[in-house]
Amino acid sequence: MVATRFWLPLDISSHGTAIDNLIAYLHIFMAVLFIGWGIFFVYCLIKFRGGPGRRARYDDIKAKPSKYAEVVVVAIEAVLLVGISMPVWASYRADPPKDNPLTVRVVAQQFAWNIHYPGPDGKFGKTKPGLVNEVTNPLGLDRDNDPNAADDIVSINNFYVPKGRDVVVRLTSKDVIHSFAVPLLRVKQDVIPGMEIPVWFKALETNDQVREQLTRRVQVPTDPAGIEDFANEHRADVFMDDFGKNADGKPIAVAGGWVTDELTKALGAAGVTEIDVAPKDPVNIQCAQLCGLGHYRMMGQMQIVEPAAFQEWLDSQSGGEEEFFEDE
Amino acid sequence: MSSDHAHAHHHDPGFIRKYIFSVDHKVIGVQYAVTSLVFLFLGFTLMMIMRFQLAYPNHIIPVIGPWLSHAVEGLVTEKGRLLPEGYNALGAMHGTIMVFLGVVPLAVGGFGNYVMPLQIGAPDMAFPKLNMASYWVFLPGGIIMLASFFVPGGAANSGWTSYAPLSVTANTVGTNAFWNGQTMWLLGMVFLITSSLLGSVNFIVTIVHLRVNGLKMFRLPFFVWAQFVTSFLLLLAFPPLEAAGVMQLMDRVFHTSFFMPSGLVVSGVMQDQHLGGMYAGGGSPLLWQHLFWFLAHPEVYVLILPAMGIVGEVIANNTRKPIWGYRILVYSIIFLGFMSFIVWAHHMFLTGMGTSISTFFQTTTMIISIPSVVILTALLLSLYGAAIRFTVPMLFALAFLPMFAIGGLTGLPLGLSASDIHLHDTYYVIGHFHYVVAPGTIMALFAGIYYWFPKVTGRKMNDFLGKLHFWPTFIFMNGVFMPMFFVGLSGVSRRLWDQTNYMLGNETHGWVKMSSWSAWMLGISQLPFIINFVISAFAGKKVAANPWHATTLEWAAPSPPPHGNFPEVPVVYRGPYEYSAPGAKDDYSPQHLPDVSLA
Repeated sequence: MVATRFWLPLDISSHGTAIDNLIAYLHIFMAVLFIGWGIFFVYCLIKFRGGPGRRARYDDIKAKPSKYAEVVVVAIEAVLLVGISMPVWASYRADPPKDNPLTVRVVAQQFAWNIHYPGPDGKFGKTKPGLVNEVTNPLGLDRDNDPNAADDIVSINNFYVPKGRDVVVRLTSKDVIHSFAVPLLRVKQDVIPGMEIPVWFKALETNDQVREQLTRRVQVPTDPAGIEDFANEHRADVFMDDFGKNADGKPIAVAGGWVTDELTKALGAAGVTEIDVAPKDPVNIQCAQLCGLGHYRMMGQMQIVEPAAFQEWLDSQSGGEEEFFEDE
Repeated sequence: MSSDHAHAHHHDPGFIRKYIFSVDHKVIGVQYAVTSLVFLFLGFTLMMIMRFQLAYPNHIIPVIGPWLSHAVEGLVTEKGRLLPEGYNALGAMHGTIMVFLGVVPLAVGGFGNYVMPLQIGAPDMAFPKLNMASYWVFLPGGIIMLASFFVPGGAANSGWTSYAPLSVTANTVGTNAFWNGQTMWLLGMVFLITSSLLGSVNFIVTIVHLRVNGLKMFRLPFFVWAQFVTSFLLLLAFPPLEAAGVMQLMDRVFHTSFFMPSGLVVSGVMQDQHLGGMYAGGGSPLLWQHLFWFLAHPEVYVLILPAMGIVGEVIANNTRKPIWGYRILVYSIIFLGFMSFIVWAHHMFLTGMGTSISTFFQTTTMIISIPSVVILTALLLSLYGAAIRFTVPMLFALAFLPMFAIGGLTGLPLGLSASDIHLHDTYYVIGHFHYVVAPGTIMALFAGIYYWFPKVTGRKMNDFLGKLHFWPTFIFMNGVFMPMFFVGLSGVSRRLWDQTNYMLGNETHGWVKMSSWSAWMLGISQLPFIINFVISAFAGKKVAANPWHATTLEWAAPSPPPHGNFPEVPVVYRGPYEYSAPGAKDDYSPQHLPDVSLA
């Protein structure tokens, strides 16, 4: 399939294939043009090198092939525009899912993502800037007076969604412009204060499935000097299996545990040469619009889980009084 | 008018009037060129520091790190690690300096000022004092920009695009309404824009009114046409940004709410007046973006058109044949100029734009790609049947062609809104526009420097050093920018102080290191140029008035041209690129010679 080529990341969305195909077709088209021009260019440089007694030709050459080439360029651009880009954009922007989507508000702020679920009543409570307290009430929900707000759930930086269900995200910002980007879901949308902009997607795989696919077999460094670099490079990774054995027969590294320099050192000492690792949180939310000094660390995690697990998570959160600041 | 002026100066104006506050377009051109070359190198240095942080996140910057902690406010830690806000400041200032203080002043203020009047046979610009004013408004603008590094809170750090509300609320550490980075950035921009406006009016009037006899519009060198279209872009696109800049200044200094919506809570501080803040609210952040990009897209063509003009001149001269499709080229750049005013919102596809608006802007964007393809094709076809001289300026001009091709082509996936969803605000964008501006425009500007250096100084730059400059520059430019496409395709956001926290950023970090090392090598590769430039200016090989055997009028003047340019006012008899004309004695027929036949 063309769609996973061209250095594009894994795509786990229902709509991403069309985007990836467009990118692929465009790059093939660009490559053909560039190589065509390149061949002509190099040919001319070699063939028409000047020298004593050589006189250039004065009259313009008749360039029929280049005219045809331009017509073809126009035609291809028109096809890609009308055939792919416009319909994809129309469904991306103007055709929200109607089949029982999960609607979530995401309120961006310097430098975190507040994920706002409506709770069991399905209604979002109103937010008021005057009620904002960055520690206890980052959204400014009026939990005391607004019945809709009482059961609302707010999760910070961890965005739980069920696999296989349409999700509509209503994006807004408390302070400056951010951009909600999830490359693996092929979603990107500027988040603009004073506006609420919807964007939607459907995830086709859970985080566990993504992690399986991203599992890499890597060499355990033998050189002690390389261990720190190795652990640094893999600081967001977990072991995908048990590796090595202690004196008491227990594994040195346990599946799901973080890759650390101590464990790496211990594995190397125990003679383990290869391990399987994968990112613990493989579906990052990035901020794509410069939003201040913490722009680089405005990272959230999509937690894509099976529908049953999602319901379980929602139930565990209901009541809304709890706060979820473990990531801050 | 022109002859009066040429003979009006009999007295020696003295050193200050001759070299500092000069009204001579050539002195002003050199002032612009030298100033902007210094700024270009400075902007490049900022980037080399950023590239260290990107390649080696949170390491101490070697050599200059500890020194920077004493010299510049809020840039690095005490030990010399680049701070995130320092990284943002370097990024914002790199963009601003390269575009507004480097490339545009060099391409328009430098080359345009120096070469254009010579190419049309004029003794000077139409308004010499206005010309001088334009430089002396530009320079304070640049100084204000640079000075902002040393005020409390450091330089502007909201990107060269200065998107509100970030830019309205940023850099408030110093609390002084004027004495802070972002406000100084805005003030600096007001100076720079004013300078460009003064210059553009002057260029247009000069080209329309001061052409010598026989120099019809369609006998103008392509470079003059490029400057002509560029001037209209500057004249029409800059005023909205100047207005926007003043509005943002009002928002920052007097707390108006042009770009401030209601209900903002920034770092826990409520901004609404009724909640104790300073803003009435009700403004629109998107208004800034529209005003900014209404300038900044035509600005892209301000960056590229003069470069195309230079490349056209150098290619015609070194292929020893007329450029292919001179009229087609002229019509193409005029069309580009018009179209560049109706594509701006393709920078804003992801601001919540609906289907009909995005359809309009992606269609205009596809349309604007066509004249670019035509221009590139025409320049390539010019090579066919040539007798190519591989001089140093020609090497740079030739390198421009594939580099501009890459820059232009990679605009397509960004210009279609669907593929832009994945690529918007990633490194792909940075790779794209840098290919247009750095390996593209800057290569062309180097071509221009090597080409016109003998006219300015009467001396030629050294060929060996020129080639020693060209090859590494060409290779390392690609080494810097090519990896950005791969990083961008994989989805890594731009402007991240440390991208390795992200899975995709970590995976692609090898490319980032390659980019960084290439950038530092690129820096070293500029040494032969600097040495060549300085030494050749004083001790280069002396050459005759027309060392390249060129046809256009600037070569009819002595080198360097005296005040007033032409000892005798030339008359033009033919088109600009009569190379290898049948029946002519030489393989070039200068525009001003009445008779060039064999006899």
